[in-house]
Amino acid sequence: MTTIEMAAQAKAASKVYGYGPTAVHALRGVDVGFEKGKFTAIMGPSGSGKSTLMHCMAGLDRLTGGEVYIGDTALTTLSDKELTELRRNRVGFIFQAYNLVPTLNARENITLPMDLGGRDIDNTWVDEVIDTVGLSDRITHRPNELSGGQQQRVAVARALASRPEIVYGDEPTGNLDSRTSAEILDFMRAAVDELGQTIVMVTHDPRGASYADRVLFLADGEIVHELESPDPDLIYDTIRNLGDGGHVLGDK
Amino acid sequence: MLKLVRRGIVANLGRLILTLISVTLGVAFVSGSFVLADSLRAIFNQVSEDAFSGVDAQIRAVEPELNSGQDLVRFDGSLVDEIAALDEVDYAEGGLFVFEQTYTQDADGEIVRPPGPPVFSGSWAGPSPASAFTLVEGEAPVGQQIAVDEAQASAGDFSVGDTIIVTVPTGEPQEFELSGLIDFGDGGTGGAYFILYDLPTLQRVLGVEGNLIDSIVVTASPGTDGDDLLAAIDSTLPDGLEVLSSEEVIADQQEQFGTFIDIFGNILLGFAVVVLFVSIFIIYNTFAILVGQRTKQLGLLRSIGASGSQIRAMVLIEAVIIGVAASIVGLFGGVGVAWLLKQLFSTGGGSFPDGPLRILPRTIVVVVVVGLLVTILSAILPAVRASRVSPLEAVRDGGQRERSMRFRILAGAAVLVPGLAALLFGMFGDIEGTAPRLAAIGGGAALTFLGVAMLSALFAGRAASVLGLPAEAVKGITGRLARDNASRNPQRTAATATALMIGLALITGVAVLTESLLRTFDEVLEESITADLFVFEEAQGLPFSSVIIDQLDALPEVGEVTGFAPVEAKIDETVESVSAYDTETGSSVVNIGVVDGAVEGPDGLGPDGIGVLASKAETLGLEIGDTVTIELEDGFTTDLTVKAIYDEDTLVGAPFVVDRDLTSPHLNVDNVGFVGLTYADGVQPDVGRAAVEDVTSNFAQLTVQDNTEFKQQTEDQVGQLQIVINGLLVLCLVVAFFGIVNTMALSILERIREIGLLRAVGTTRRQLRTAVRWEAVIVAVFGSLLGIAMGLLLGWAAVVAIPDTFISKVGIPWLSLVIYLLVGAVLGVVAAFFPATRAARMNVLDAIAYE
Repeated sequence: MTTIEMAAQAKAASKVYGYGPTAVHALRGVDVGFEKGKFTAIMGPSGSGKSTLMHCMAGLDRLTGGEVYIGDTALTTLSDKELTELRRNRVGFIFQAYNLVPTLNARENITLPMDLGGRDIDNTWVDEVIDTVGLSDRITHRPNELSGGQQQRVAVARALASRPEIVYGDEPTGNLDSRTSAEILDFMRAAVDELGQTIVMVTHDPRGASYADRVLFLADGEIVHELESPDPDLIYDTIRNLGDGGHVLGDK
Repeated sequence: MLKLVRRGIVANLGRLILTLISVTLGVAFVSGSFVLADSLRAIFNQVSEDAFSGVDAQIRAVEPELNSGQDLVRFDGSLVDEIAALDEVDYAEGGLFVFEQTYTQDADGEIVRPPGPPVFSGSWAGPSPASAFTLVEGEAPVGQQIAVDEAQASAGDFSVGDTIIVTVPTGEPQEFELSGLIDFGDGGTGGAYFILYDLPTLQRVLGVEGNLIDSIVVTASPGTDGDDLLAAIDSTLPDGLEVLSSEEVIADQQEQFGTFIDIFGNILLGFAVVVLFVSIFIIYNTFAILVGQRTKQLGLLRSIGASGSQIRAMVLIEAVIIGVAASIVGLFGGVGVAWLLKQLFSTGGGSFPDGPLRILPRTIVVVVVVGLLVTILSAILPAVRASRVSPLEAVRDGGQRERSMRFRILAGAAVLVPGLAALLFGMFGDIEGTAPRLAAIGGGAALTFLGVAMLSALFAGRAASVLGLPAEAVKGITGRLARDNASRNPQRTAATATALMIGLALITGVAVLTESLLRTFDEVLEESITADLFVFEEAQGLPFSSVIIDQLDALPEVGEVTGFAPVEAKIDETVESVSAYDTETGSSVVNIGVVDGAVEGPDGLGPDGIGVLASKAETLGLEIGDTVTIELEDGFTTDLTVKAIYDEDTLVGAPFVVDRDLTSPHLNVDNVGFVGLTYADGVQPDVGRAAVEDVTSNFAQLTVQDNTEFKQQTEDQVGQLQIVINGLLVLCLVVAFFGIVNTMALSILERIREIGLLRAVGTTRRQLRTAVRWEAVIVAVFGSLLGIAMGLLLGWAAVVAIPDTFISKVGIPWLSLVIYLLVGAVLGVVAAFFPATRAARMNVLDAIAYE
């Protein structure tokens, strides 16, 4: 392999909750890199540490050991203010429970991160994003006037609108029916292929994971396996092989 | 950012309006205090200006160092001709002007007087450039005639030409013909009544010997400069008189009114501060809950790049907007409050002159600043807490987490301990004077309130749980729900309850104070009054002519009569209050508790003795046999020997007593403050009383009361005072009431899912309503109990701090306390009405699907 540019990296990342005998090791020295312009999915059973890994790599939470980078920036040394700016300018989020501000309309929600940073808004780009997610006719609606799928599309558009270096998704389709899920995932795939966006997504759904270029499997705070451009069946098989029978993934 | 704030406010409009009301009430009270005081000041300023509008100069006696009476010092009226003869003088008129001395009587023989303002009696030579009076109808009075103002004429149903009976201080009422109706200045009389006579008639009516007057008003001849006029007059004035320009006279009058109005305004402001203090708790509570509810949203904002300071600013901007809105509403609400206060004081026995209500620029500035400060101050802690919300809250599943109690305990203790220390220091510390003592207690009380409010969260849960037991016993599972809800968020329960606590603590404190005052007074009456009847001026306890003493003494039904005169005198070069009374008969009327020496008999005070209050004697180091020098109004000076030490000054009201024969000849006006008498041996009370009333009926302003009536009247007066104070404090309860409504409504919103669940498993609307109502009652009773406990402490502290001569006994008004507790509980029920209805109306599916 020649020089691959990494959008985000974790080196010996570890995270421990609590102390002494009751300590919980959520991450046990994880080494991982997310290549620029690629779509990565992270899978693993509940408690495997996949959400913790993502939160730490996104600057939402802090590691207890090791280091994470966004581009060349090491996050552990950043102050709260610097982390805030990093989240505002360089990272995008898509949450499971849409997480829109109920008092703002769709467009206002999408431009919120830029408004917060006092940045000039690139309206052409925002319009393009809105157009791509197919929300042009709903743009002045408040979240409670939108369906679940529409709300999640607003959330995706918000994550993309500020052209972040990397977008993290925390089970972005977890609350959606299969048809709407497919729409969102198609759109995320398109964002990677056509716009060159880097996306990392935590998911329980093997079908969702099959949209990714690469799937990482976590168990007990460690990366235990990975697949390149898998199809859903291969993912099912992998899960079955990794799991201890009764301990099933996707226990939602 | 601003958009978020604006939308947030719109979305939370309901609960913010409740907060707004709390701030507004406090702000409106501040505004109302200013508006009322400013309006009064404007009215009185106008009256003063009107009174001297045509006058260029006024001559009067130099204000003496000692003046026991209310009236100006008089001088010989022959000076008027001398002044009028000056080239610089165009017109000079000498006059007499007194208040509360003569009164008109209506057809039923009742004296005609306005409920608050005084009745002036004056001399009037008819319309002149120097007179503020103008004739509306009829003629100026000459001889046995009077002129009165229109308000008085309509109150007494008088018409020009009527014969009117006028009460005079010197003897039997006299008949006068109403010669005319007069008007005063441009702005009216400020509510006062006027009775005008010609000068010789007024002198005769008042019993003034010789041609004595108390002032000369002067107008300058055309072309004479004001300074030249003053200089010319000054050079002719005998010693003891001074000449003032009209500006000086007006300023002097306005200052006298101003002092009174300032005191009045400051008292109102004091209450306003208390109300604001209560509002702070409510505002803080609302913001804290709003922040708590929005934790998830705040986390979201943090996760997509909002900085902590942006979040903090967001909450504070919200507070600023509420503060500004509340200030504006409160400013104008203040006009309403001013109007209400006028009504309140009118029911309390006073009356206010009519006039426009004024909003000065100063009022606007103060009100806006105060409104903003209070709101921002209350929002700071919640704002800081909001800015500390972790971005991870966005992905965490619901539910607020318990905050650490440690900070609260430390901070609460840090406030409570010095508060209690100040309170105790105020009660028992080595402090000179009552005012600083009370100040220490007041400051200590404010800190103690804060401390208790912060620490009450520690035990609010357990207390609510215990207080909820009866609810559970009575109401079963709904009671159980109420009890659990009241006790499960101790911080919220505590914050709501403490707002109510402050209001009730103050009301309880006042109740303890008044009860103690009455108990003390009862005891004094019991121990120190031996008189059968007292005679005094009914409305304000003003002094009246001593001529009545001889008339009463002449009655065969009357045994001993003693007049008590309040006298200002210099004792060893210090101005002191002295009570002069007829010491040979005095002990048959009052018992002043002589502890050493004697007041009557061969070793009594006599013409050259003085009695000293025990505590005063201690301060001055005086003992029986010591000599002091007394100086009276007219400059008469003599040495007196201390012949008695006494320790009961409630009735004589002064730290020195002397015989009235010593002081009478040396006073400007020989008045007495009250007269006490006993019946002659064998006279039946009703016979004796009838005889006495026959004499006093000539003096329509005087009233006759026996011991029981006297006691009753005092109780009524104290009761009225209590009504006025409580009327002001009720506003605290109103603010606290909105606090309960607010908290209940917010906690219902917080529990929407749970309520939906309860409904889904078969709770009826009625049960739900009951549960919410009982929850409010539990919180309200908790707050009331805290408040009553604090009030008892406060009342006790104040009783200890106030000198024993005013209050020496601690009285606890048990019945009132029970009523206050019930009022607290009822407040809870009423406050819960709206939130309970709302909870009950909630659609089951909506409630479950919330989010």
